[in-house]
Amino acid sequence: MTLLEELAQTLQEGDLNDTTGLVNRAVTEGIPAETILKSGLIAGMDEIGRKFQDGEIFIPHMLLAARAMNAGIDILKPLLAESGAKPAGHVVLGTVKGDHHDIGKNLVRIMLEGKGFAVNDLGIDVQPKDFVDAITEEVQIVAISALLSTTVPFIEETIQTLESAGVRDQVKVIIGGGVVTQETAEKFGADAYGQDAAIGAVKAMELIEALN
Amino acid sequence: MNGLERIITALSLKEPDRVPLYIHAINEKPIILIAREHLEGLPDPEKTFYDMNDNEKMLMLEALFLVHEKHDIDGFTSLEFGHEERIAEDEVRDAWGVVYQLNPFGLPVAKHHPLKEKSDLVGFVPPAPKKENLLLLMAARERFRDTKAIFWMMRGTFVLSWRLTGMENLMLKMFDDPDFVHSIARMTYEYNVQMLDLLVEAGLDVLIIEDDIADKNFPLISPDQFKEFINPYNRKLVELGHEKGLKVIRHSDGNLWPLLDILLETGYDGLNPLEPQAGMDLKKLKEYCGDRLCFLGNIDCIDLLPNGTQEQVEETVKQAISDAGEGGGLIISSSNSLHPGVNPDNCIAMFNATKNYGRYPLNRF
Repeated sequence: MTLLEELAQTLQEGDLNDTTGLVNRAVTEGIPAETILKSGLIAGMDEIGRKFQDGEIFIPHMLLAARAMNAGIDILKPLLAESGAKPAGHVVLGTVKGDHHDIGKNLVRIMLEGKGFAVNDLGIDVQPKDFVDAITEEVQIVAISALLSTTVPFIEETIQTLESAGVRDQVKVIIGGGVVTQETAEKFGADAYGQDAAIGAVKAMELIEALN
Repeated sequence: MNGLERIITALSLKEPDRVPLYIHAINEKPIILIAREHLEGLPDPEKTFYDMNDNEKMLMLEALFLVHEKHDIDGFTSLEFGHEERIAEDEVRDAWGVVYQLNPFGLPVAKHHPLKEKSDLVGFVPPAPKKENLLLLMAARERFRDTKAIFWMMRGTFVLSWRLTGMENLMLKMFDDPDFVHSIARMTYEYNVQMLDLLVEAGLDVLIIEDDIADKNFPLISPDQFKEFINPYNRKLVELGHEKGLKVIRHSDGNLWPLLDILLETGYDGLNPLEPQAGMDLKKLKEYCGDRLCFLGNIDCIDLLPNGTQEQVEETVKQAISDAGEGGGLIISSSNSLHPGVNPDNCIAMFNATKNYGRYPLNRF
């Protein structure tokens, strides 16, 4: 097993110290930070996403792996900045207004970051206008989450607000959470639907690939 | 048969005179819209309970009773009131010190968790359940006497634990500090045991262990974690409930198939609310464990009750009765709460269809 394969494996087990130890070792051995990120941390998170989708692991294991990933990324950040490495894409993420649930949204952030995206997490109970305000030139995707059947209509309101603000064509919109379905996505004119956090991240990557 | 007999018979996996009806939970708006033809002066349907004055709250109680009486609902859900205090326009705090944010529909979501670490337990005094917070149960008992089954929604180990500690924190503590997770679970269990004594004294029929543990895809924690940290405490409540002569049902949203064998072995009498979108198919459930478990719920409140036609509601109820009614063990109810988005006419169609097509012996239609 190569060092980076070992890193991907250790990340999946969620061991914080071993993960940071291996990242440091990889850096010391002169492996470029971007390679450590992609072939170590992201590769590990990809596998976490697959296992989560298949029901082999559950949310706690995902949180554990994410904690290890973030510790690894913290080590790599200055090196990545130095080398001018770019994220896979820029996403604005939030739970719609009126909805204060955050765990589903947090899992989406974890999986997006696990694919190398830069995520601007606006938090919970996000007003449509705040989604609009967060769309800078580099943002390609707006990811909207809603858990409750009572707050799902606010996804539509958010998308309509993006339209009336004239930024809808600038971004792709992906939605998910609780009672949201593929039909909801079609009805509200979203570009994609993520059935769970892992699928959401895969769909986001597909949207980016289609853009490039 | 009256409602109480109907519910207890169905929960005992025997055939009552008809399939019973039950409302697990209902929001202000549907209560008002369903009851307003029977009662004048009800508040604006958009007003949340937290914003109502005392007079309006009393009217709401009357409206809630009327919904059950006028539509022959066989069971009545009661829950704790008075354990929360309003601390801001859109915030309440419960007796444990958990702070909840109220959404525009009055739904509280826990956002401040008082017990994040083992050290937070030092000097923490858990609340004691209060008899005066059982007011809804006592009022329902008084109103319905023994004609309807009185249910009580008791929050289970997982929900109480994550509210106290924060959900993500609790999940990580399952790896980092298992003793802490058990300490919290034990504390919530001890509270519930004391509560159970008060409930039995006040005249309870059915205990609901309300402990959401799954989303539409999977359980929130692994079956092994469920077996280690959550289920043993809930199991003791089931056993205690049975010792006190109660029926005990389990409520959890989501896809419960990966935990179903554990739940069966725990000894629950019934399972609720059986979301069709989470794969909780009544026919499959009946085949798998209809001889061991009563099913309460399954009439889709996500799409059907808000957007469907009354004919579609009627067909869905007929299908549910056909799939799971034989031999008893079925109680018709929505697949989760009757929330502000449901069409009140569709709720009434669900009640009527159950009464029209749920007579035993069942006709094959």
